[in-house]
Amino acid sequence: MRFFIGAILAGTLCGLAPAQPTLSPAQRQLNIDSFEQIWTTVRDKHWDPKLNGVDWQAIHDELRPKIDKAVTMDEARDILSDMLHRLKQTHFGIVPAEAYKEIDQKDDTGKSSPEDGDPGIDLRLVDGHALVTFVAPGSPAAAKGVKLGWEILRIDGKELAPGMAKVRAALGSALLAELIETRAVVERMEGPIDKTVDVEFLDGNNRTVNLKLTRTGLRGAETVVGTLPPLRFWVEAHKVQPDIGYVQFNMFFEPDAVNSAVQKIMSECRDCKGFIIDLRGNPGGLGAMAMGLAGWFTNQSGLVLGTMYLRTTSIKFAVFPRPEPFRGPLAVLVDGCSASTAEIFAGGMQDLKRARIFGTHTAGAALPSLITKLPNGDGFQYAIANYISEGGKPLEGIGVTPDQEVKLTRHQLLEGQDPVLDAAVSWIHGQ
Amino acid sequence: MSRFYIGRNIAIGAAVVLSFSLARAADDLPKADNILDKYVEATGGKAAYQKHHNEVSKGSLSIASVGLKGDLTSYRAEPDKSLTEIDLGGMGKSTEGSDGKIFWSKSSMMGPHVKEGAEKTQAELSSKFNAELNWRDLFKDVKTVGTDTVEGKDCYKVQLTPADGGPITQCYDKESGLMVKMTMTAQTPMGEQTVDSFATDYRKEGEILMPHKIKQVLAGQEILITIDSVTFNADIPADKFAVPDDIKALVDKK
Repeated sequence: MRFFIGAILAGTLCGLAPAQPTLSPAQRQLNIDSFEQIWTTVRDKHWDPKLNGVDWQAIHDELRPKIDKAVTMDEARDILSDMLHRLKQTHFGIVPAEAYKEIDQKDDTGKSSPEDGDPGIDLRLVDGHALVTFVAPGSPAAAKGVKLGWEILRIDGKELAPGMAKVRAALGSALLAELIETRAVVERMEGPIDKTVDVEFLDGNNRTVNLKLTRTGLRGAETVVGTLPPLRFWVEAHKVQPDIGYVQFNMFFEPDAVNSAVQKIMSECRDCKGFIIDLRGNPGGLGAMAMGLAGWFTNQSGLVLGTMYLRTTSIKFAVFPRPEPFRGPLAVLVDGCSASTAEIFAGGMQDLKRARIFGTHTAGAALPSLITKLPNGDGFQYAIANYISEGGKPLEGIGVTPDQEVKLTRHQLLEGQDPVLDAAVSWIHGQ
Repeated sequence: MSRFYIGRNIAIGAAVVLSFSLARAADDLPKADNILDKYVEATGGKAAYQKHHNEVSKGSLSIASVGLKGDLTSYRAEPDKSLTEIDLGGMGKSTEGSDGKIFWSKSSMMGPHVKEGAEKTQAELSSKFNAELNWRDLFKDVKTVGTDTVEGKDCYKVQLTPADGGPITQCYDKESGLMVKMTMTAQTPMGEQTVDSFATDYRKEGEILMPHKIKQVLAGQEILITIDSVTFNADIPADKFAVPDDIKALVDKK
């Protein structure tokens, strides 16, 4: 995910990079080579051969003399980013190391360390404030008395507000802002297991509380999928009410584990009045899992969540109904940190009128993309497909608008409430 | 999709050919019938094929662009029973099979699925055992449509049209007679997908010469299938091709 987020920021954060010294002739040549690699990749691999209507050759001819003359990395990156911005599409960008570090506290490779841990806190940005939304039972944070709704002011002495303001200024009102800012704070909290992190909170009485919290293993089991960095996966399924089933998992991986959890709660919940799928904070993962998950909730064959368009073909996200699907009311919970496959599932089920969506607007980050290393050492992110939900709208840059918007508030969190879940439960009981 | 991973060769259903067509090939091209018959001879001959009543192939499947690799096992038996199992690490398992009547697939990611319509027709074709020998029964028309060069080998392009469904194009090495490429349009619930398959590393398994590396290009991704071992006339359990319970439940609901 860090890699993903860093890539999203791409050229947007170029301005955060410190000034660079004048480049050597060899370094300038590497930038020229990078320019050509980017231009050729887009020409040959963009899902739309017409490149969104832009005259790509003309852009090359206009910008190539400029990259030839670029004498600093800032200048070079501005030109590379300018070229990609002409496409007017997300998921195309440059990942300068300096900007990447503004939001990523990890190593330069973007790879997680299996030894990483956290104090047992999850959080969300609410109106620009980082609020605790989950404290793992038995975790160091729980032992030190951290409560829901506490605001995180500083991590290891570094005030959060200026950094978040900087990122927000760079991103403006982009849907992705919440996802990126949240991840940035979460990653500041993470680090080597058994090492401590100093966190300054604002408690429920608006008093500052300074705690030294030990990091323990991240929640879930390690999973490795292809070339992705090692990830931590968890899934939970239970009843939130005697007659309402509930499933939550932190990302769309480990399909067998998700299936087992869904199957188990389904078997215990045959007579349940409703079901809730909680995708808040879920950044996506394996796209095909959206189809498999949908199949648990419909008996209608031939349904499609949406269509992914690649350069040479298109792929329908078809739904295969399970033998005994749940057909009662289905609520899906989302927020600004729900992205990619989570949006494909939520958006598709909404379009099919099979689910009611609760929470806040999703991240609008549905495109599959790749990141390659450029000759100059920067990363280059490019999308390889477009995705249109079954209702006919792209999710990219637009996201899923909940049927019922429910925002978190510090007051409700301090009261131990989950207003989004409460709204879904209330709706199900009203059906 | 996994149907295209199978194989004695590229995809058994299409690796074969046939036609009662009397259509003549262009004057400067050999007749498709001869090319297809030559393939059988080049890979071991009719008698060698007829000795086999089932086969078990084991190997691996990898998608290098995303760093995925997993195990593949394929069971096939006369006349049209098949089962292919793929375990792709963090992506879970996918299985595809046929008992000769019901053609199905299931995967950890997508769930169980019973094939119908054009998808079923294509699955029926690819499940035929020893299809190489019976191409005349499987295709209503075969014709040589040109030549091509595939990975440095000059080959004859043969178009095979089944009784039902779209044509398959195969390219046979002019010199060795071995099939080096196959192109077909796969019928899937996710839509039609063009699949190019490239067969290399032909080696003998018993008396049959067969490719041990098959590169498939599908939706811009390269999938490499490597066959490590093939056992003919294996002791396959009687229930190996039985339809799974969840597939039966879906069939019963229809």
